[in-house]
Amino acid sequence: MRRCLACLGALASIALAATPPATVEFNRDIRPILSDRCYACHGPDQASRKSKLRLDIEAGAKADLGGHFGIVPGDPSKSEVVKRITADETRRMPPAWAGAARLSDRQIDLLTRWIALGAVWQKHWSFIPPVRPTLPQVSDSHWAKNAIDSFVLARLDREGLKPLPEADRFTLIRRVTLDLTGLPPTPAEVRAFVDDSSADAYEKVVDRLLASPRYGERMAMRWLDAARYADTNGYQTDGERSMWRWRDWVIDAFNHNMPFDHFTVEQIAGDMLPGATLQQVLATGFNRNHRGNGEGGIIPAEYAVEYVVDRVETTSAVWLGVTLGCARCHDHKYDPFKQKEFYQVFAYFNNIPERGKAFKYGNSPPLIHAPTAGQENRLKELDLKLAAGERHMAEIEPGIAKAQRAWEKSLVKTPDPALTPALANDWASARAIAVYLPLNGDLRGEIHRDPPRSDKYTYLMENGPVVVQKPPPEVFEPLWKDGAGQYGEGHIGQAGAFDGKRFVDVGNVANFGFYDSFTLAAWIYPTLPTGAIVSRAEDENEGQGFGLYLKDGHLQANLVQRWLDDGARVESKGTIELNRWSHVTVTYDGSRVASGIRIYLNGDPLELDTHLDDLNQSFDAKQPLRIGAGLGPRNRFHGWIDEVRIYRMALTPEESAVLAVPASVNQLARLAPAKRTPPQAAKLRWCFLDRYAPAALRDGWQQLLDLRGDRVGLVESFPTVMVMQENPIARETHVLLRGAYDRPGDTVLPSVPAILPPLPEGAPNNRLGFAKWLVDPANPLPARVTMNRFWQMYFGTGLVKTVEDFGSQGEWPANPDLLDWLATEFIRTGWNVKAMQKTMVMSATYRQSSKVTPELLQRDPENRLLARGPRFRLSAGELRDQALAVSGLLVEKIGGPSVKPYQPPGLWKELTGGEDYIPDQGEGLHRRSLYTFWKRTAPPPMMMNFDAAGRETCVVRELRTNTPLQALDLMNDVTFLEAARALAVRMIREGGTTEAERIAYGFSLATARPPKSRESNILLSSLHYYRDTSQTDPELAAYTTVASLILNLDVTVTKE
Amino acid sequence: MQRTDEQLLLTRRYFFGKASAGLGIAALAGLLKQDLHAESALPGLPHFAPRAKRIIYLFQSGGPSQMELFDYKPKLKDLEKTELPDSVRMGQRLTGMTSTQTSFPVAPSLFQFKQYGRSGTWVSELMPNLANVADELCFVKSMYTEAINHDPAVTFFQTGFQLAGRPSIGAWLSYGLGSENQELPAFVVMISQGSGNPNDQPLADRQWGSGFLPTKYQGVKFRSLGDPVLYLSDPAGFDRAQRRRFIDDLSKMNQLELDEFGDPEIATRIAQYEMAYKMQTSVPELTDLSGEPPRTFELYGPDARKPGTFAANCLLARRLAERGVRFVQLFHRGWDQHTNLPKQIAGQAKDTDQACAGLIQDLKERGLLNDTMVVWGGEFGRTVYCQGKLTADNYGRDHHPRCFTMWLAGGGVKSGLTYGETDDYCYNIVKDPVHVHDLHATILHCLGIDHTKLTYKFQGRAFRLTDVNGNVVRDLLA
Repeated sequence: MRRCLACLGALASIALAATPPATVEFNRDIRPILSDRCYACHGPDQASRKSKLRLDIEAGAKADLGGHFGIVPGDPSKSEVVKRITADETRRMPPAWAGAARLSDRQIDLLTRWIALGAVWQKHWSFIPPVRPTLPQVSDSHWAKNAIDSFVLARLDREGLKPLPEADRFTLIRRVTLDLTGLPPTPAEVRAFVDDSSADAYEKVVDRLLASPRYGERMAMRWLDAARYADTNGYQTDGERSMWRWRDWVIDAFNHNMPFDHFTVEQIAGDMLPGATLQQVLATGFNRNHRGNGEGGIIPAEYAVEYVVDRVETTSAVWLGVTLGCARCHDHKYDPFKQKEFYQVFAYFNNIPERGKAFKYGNSPPLIHAPTAGQENRLKELDLKLAAGERHMAEIEPGIAKAQRAWEKSLVKTPDPALTPALANDWASARAIAVYLPLNGDLRGEIHRDPPRSDKYTYLMENGPVVVQKPPPEVFEPLWKDGAGQYGEGHIGQAGAFDGKRFVDVGNVANFGFYDSFTLAAWIYPTLPTGAIVSRAEDENEGQGFGLYLKDGHLQANLVQRWLDDGARVESKGTIELNRWSHVTVTYDGSRVASGIRIYLNGDPLELDTHLDDLNQSFDAKQPLRIGAGLGPRNRFHGWIDEVRIYRMALTPEESAVLAVPASVNQLARLAPAKRTPPQAAKLRWCFLDRYAPAALRDGWQQLLDLRGDRVGLVESFPTVMVMQENPIARETHVLLRGAYDRPGDTVLPSVPAILPPLPEGAPNNRLGFAKWLVDPANPLPARVTMNRFWQMYFGTGLVKTVEDFGSQGEWPANPDLLDWLATEFIRTGWNVKAMQKTMVMSATYRQSSKVTPELLQRDPENRLLARGPRFRLSAGELRDQALAVSGLLVEKIGGPSVKPYQPPGLWKELTGGEDYIPDQGEGLHRRSLYTFWKRTAPPPMMMNFDAAGRETCVVRELRTNTPLQALDLMNDVTFLEAARALAVRMIREGGTTEAERIAYGFSLATARPPKSRESNILLSSLHYYRDTSQTDPELAAYTTVASLILNLDVTVTKE
Repeated sequence: MQRTDEQLLLTRRYFFGKASAGLGIAALAGLLKQDLHAESALPGLPHFAPRAKRIIYLFQSGGPSQMELFDYKPKLKDLEKTELPDSVRMGQRLTGMTSTQTSFPVAPSLFQFKQYGRSGTWVSELMPNLANVADELCFVKSMYTEAINHDPAVTFFQTGFQLAGRPSIGAWLSYGLGSENQELPAFVVMISQGSGNPNDQPLADRQWGSGFLPTKYQGVKFRSLGDPVLYLSDPAGFDRAQRRRFIDDLSKMNQLELDEFGDPEIATRIAQYEMAYKMQTSVPELTDLSGEPPRTFELYGPDARKPGTFAANCLLARRLAERGVRFVQLFHRGWDQHTNLPKQIAGQAKDTDQACAGLIQDLKERGLLNDTMVVWGGEFGRTVYCQGKLTADNYGRDHHPRCFTMWLAGGGVKSGLTYGETDDYCYNIVKDPVHVHDLHATILHCLGIDHTKLTYKFQGRAFRLTDVNGNVVRDLLA
């Protein structure tokens, strides 16, 4: 906790130096004072500048302001700045009336001396490209193991401090194993290292750990915090989304040691790379991880802006370490970023075909199907089989054609009554049929509640051939409502007569939701231009549900959750002719957007107007399927309806055309082959293959259809991931006055901030060019910022503590040469991430003991000088993972959908009133914490107790508190109790025969070292006490309590 | 006013550096006490003498309709079913739910109003008990906000900013003022589900989060299901003596560690376990209502015996206030009446009326109302025009940020006052508008805080609850 409090100020490093520095350096000593105390009124923001004096640029500070000067180099007494900071209360700066305090004597002294020494100005340090520093001379060249140590030791030499010796081997292997894999070492690994006397024993451990797949998981955990990764959309409803394929991409990228420049370009603009692979497109999920608002009443334009702002803020925090977001409403108050520049960067991320209103549930476009490796293999298999099947059909085509011709001739001679429309029994595909009602004088038909797409169903009619049915259809009894059923001459056989009142209630079938593809089709003979054809919707005006309607002669398809603002509604441009038979079909592909709906009239696709494209949740209505009704009593159908077919799949255009062919198979057989239209020919061919071809041919055809169905089903089952995509025509970007979405100002074009280098030679001025610019070696920031964040992972605090802010208000680096060496080394190695981790953990600095004397603690409380090794509490995820690992419960498996481990009941429900959290059973309880399902509005409580990032917005700073709620969590959380029990069982079973051995075993599992005798004695005495006081199964109870004690020890929860 | 690093680090680290060598665990724990839930006030705080020491904030989540409850608009009856004139609407942005509506018919309230008390305050028949304490209340009928949807609007009320990421008001207060009770958190949150609209306006944990402040300042949820505080209860069969021994042995082990490593974090950890042990007693004592006299339940109503109800939470709020908890916030869900408003709002009123009145009365009887401020209100109001179908006995109302009513009571505010006015349509404020930032500034003022000076530096900038705005509404102050 105190570490965090210490994060408050940006000026902490100044406090480190007990004595004033001999030299005064602008960037280190002066800029922080000016920035913090003066820039709000005398800084970059023109609008809030209070006088002509500006102190953020040299020319301004030294300008002639009409006979007086802010700063006169070499002459403090003539410098207005010095006069004013030392003036009495009425005149002094910063002013008392603004609530500001006087500068400290030390600050005044520094400013005065700096002016006396000539007031040498410097560009802000982080905007100057790093230059590889030469290694400094140090007092003890033996101690240094690599360049890091030379820089650290040089600083310690200046401070008159000495580094500590290397930590003991137990401590060291635990430290490095936790740091590189996020999990503790096993006893065997500890033993092997302790016993290894070879000179490179430690390096072997490091290499082994870097090669472990756990390394990628460990590195991903922090990246997910920065990337605000979560499993829900955030905001009000906070419905589930699916971004885990992106998460797995990150793990994989770290494990394969993808160079950081590639890692960057692919995540920012992988979709724009030439010939982008699935993986490269998938990577761009990084900038779709932001929250999406699907709340009912929002104004989409407002949130469309917020998403882009989030991308700019996140990207600039992660790669540039600057608070560009501060320039959203006005020029930056401290750093040289103009408001206009914010929107120029904004423009790079503003060209995505996305909606401001996100889906309440699920991923919002643009998105891709992102099959897992297993699914890709299955797809390949299917494609091979399909190709073989198609080839086979092509090979036997002459035979088929010949057999078909013979069959056609027989039909001409003797029409098959089963294929005569007059008998209501023509052929149509029965694959994936959900409902078929011929309305042939009664309501007999065929209804399947949930037909799988690839299974074949045929309907059983009096004269038709019998095909085995599977599974037997459920019994549904459609009923006429609001009047007795009447029939008349239909298009095929008879048709239902609709008089604007009566309709058919088919029952609770065809319960499709917004992820389901489906088809509604029928022959209709309308006598009035308005009325419902088929629907599953509330029977009231503007009700919820889906359906196909006639509206003033137009065909209208409607998927509605809420009529005005939550639905998809399309309508044919043209109108349908009244008083004649037409075939109508609507298909929906489950894409949740209006463009996924098609309407066909007599087999021809219609041009559609989109009236509403704002569907953002499912439209299932608790309503029966109705024929001739839906959306209220005034919307009943007038005329005749015949041959209603509903499929649990979206028919293809070709299938839709075939379904609408009015001629019966018997009639088509009479038509000369050359005169047949393609749909007519296909109808004949499909009918033949379906029913009349020789058995072998029929089977081959069915198998092919099954394969096609399987393929569609497989592709639909692929997880999706939201990705970046470019609009073909660039969207205009405006400066937004005061940052408000509805106050556009001047138009801007994409550009990088002027203080930083321009785009690299040849890079396009778009998102891809921006991505390349981020990792252009000329860019002074990304290598430094990234190395600083890595440093934070090992040492708890960055070399620049303000890891998110390298600007004027950020901290001056604790060791600038070291940071620059790391940055240049990173680029020199080709942005080799693993190599840099290795360099850090191989350093003597990292390997030091973490014991601290009161004297050193007083001198350097936060260990910024690094005269000792790092020592801090494990992160939330590491604590849980460690408990699972040492107890043997951990299920190690990389990737996959997020899992739901234990969580106290009711936490979701009490916030939402809706569904509660239901923990997984089995392995989902014991996976590593980076796979834990993350609901943004109700994050996992244990993770939040231990300071995990909330995943609402980008967080790069690591924080650690120390609270009583954490103590309660470690003592009583089911996860830790279960782990204690399992650890107890391990102690008893594997630990040896004596109590002392068992306790030592448990202790060393958790801490990687044997207990000291005093520790052992306390634990033994504890064991005896609990054995004596426990009622049931005292032996196990006692060990469980001691195991819990071990899991609660400071030494266990701390990286020593 | 913000502490400097020197104060924070050097004095304390120096102290612990010395202390760890010589002092025993108990002494250390005592000395560390102020570090626990939230430490003592920041230096210089309060900035001036406070009128209230603590807040009970009854957040009515969903947006209660001002027209049905407190803002009496008799002229609406004559305007029933007439179109809301453009001259009144003045281009006000509407939510996406009604912006495509073609008609905006005026829907008058179905409920009767009467004047109550010496103050003659108008209150609706839906709040009969509250009406009886009207003279204790300070109504602000001219509240307005900037957001028109729940999540940003609640976030705005809670943090002064519409988007997630900033500290909640309770977190600011526990950061600034610390706690009066070292055995309970400084900021406690309780949630109840109303009988009105059960399926809308979810809340989010971040609404009482600490934003960029350290997480120890976040609100601690007291729950009616399971442990009142997460992980509070020991496993079944594990008794207090066993837990005591556990903490003692743990402390001994950690002391050995402290002796060797000298890291003051270890001393803090020892103290935190001690604190956790105390909470295991203090929290169940707090939530155990068996000692409450029958009079209590007469005041709060029979629901107060049912854990998790608004009434039970009001009673717990009083018990927390008695124990010096700085900021108690109740969230009562279900006020989002887009449709079926008359029936739903009657249910919501029934859930809350007696308990609110009981709380005021109870605080007064115990002498706590003087230095406890009670705040009642939602994230926005509701439109005068009907959402959906307007019939003789049914209607709905959409979100309305331009005017709505809140009330305050107790420490620091004028009782029996009605402040601000809306027009006859209850659509615009015509007198004394009070912005969310103004309300925040005023609440902070009552606690002795200058809202412009309670700041925290994050990403290089000094942030505060009221952002760059906010004026103390002095007319509301006693």
